[in-house]
Amino acid sequence: MMITAAICVFGGLAALATLLMIFQRNPVKAALLMLAALLATAGIYLALSAQLLAILQVILYAGAIMTLFIVALTVTPAAWRDKPGPALIKRVIGLAAAAVILAELLKLSTALKAVAASPEFSETGTLEIARLIFGPFVFQFELLSLIILASIVGAVALTAKRRTAQ
Amino acid sequence: MTQYHLAAICFTLFSLATAGFLTSGSLVRMLMFLELMLNAANIAFVALGSPASQAYALMLFAIAAAEAGVGLALIIALASTFKTLEAGNIKELKG
Repeated sequence: MMITAAICVFGGLAALATLLMIFQRNPVKAALLMLAALLATAGIYLALSAQLLAILQVILYAGAIMTLFIVALTVTPAAWRDKPGPALIKRVIGLAAAAVILAELLKLSTALKAVAASPEFSETGTLEIARLIFGPFVFQFELLSLIILASIVGAVALTAKRRTAQ
Repeated sequence: MTQYHLAAICFTLFSLATAGFLTSGSLVRMLMFLELMLNAANIAFVALGSPASQAYALMLFAIAAAEAGVGLALIIALASTFKTLEAGNIKELKG
């Protein structure tokens, strides 16, 4: 019961933060609202007994990725952020498309109503994840390091190209 | 609480992020909403409840970090070429 309430509260918080972010014109304030949504997600993970993921969510998403966004916002001059505000028709179409996506997803997942979720709290989830990652999923896990290396090289190459172009 | 309720929370977060992505004009904001969409998909993975889905969510974290790094590098390179962060102002393919 307690866990169900926690999931609902944190889910509502994340949804509220995302909703406020849509209507926030200041990009730095929008980034802070995103931080709130990400921290609420960490709460959801904790309520779903995924302790490792909750900690990683705080360190990686709310820490590293958030810092990247703030840095990207501060290194670009404010004059480039000329915000005329999107046209009304574009907004209406965007919101309608999102509503259609939500309705379709909910309609498709009605079969899940018969499946009960397991809301009881367990503390041994991390051990299972470790066994899986260093067992059957070891190839995928090692492949991830290659992806991160490729992204580092790509980011450096893009920035270096910009320097030579100037 | 059934799996449907958990899925409904994820879908709501996903579609709110989609609405933000489709209605915002700034490239950085679009990337932020993209991260939130990925985040909602991650919650859906964890909500499945099995250890395998949590392991996949863990791998998605690394993918999200790589995506944010490359995305922001692309945005900064684009912004320095076009002197704008608004997606609507970037219209020429030949930079």
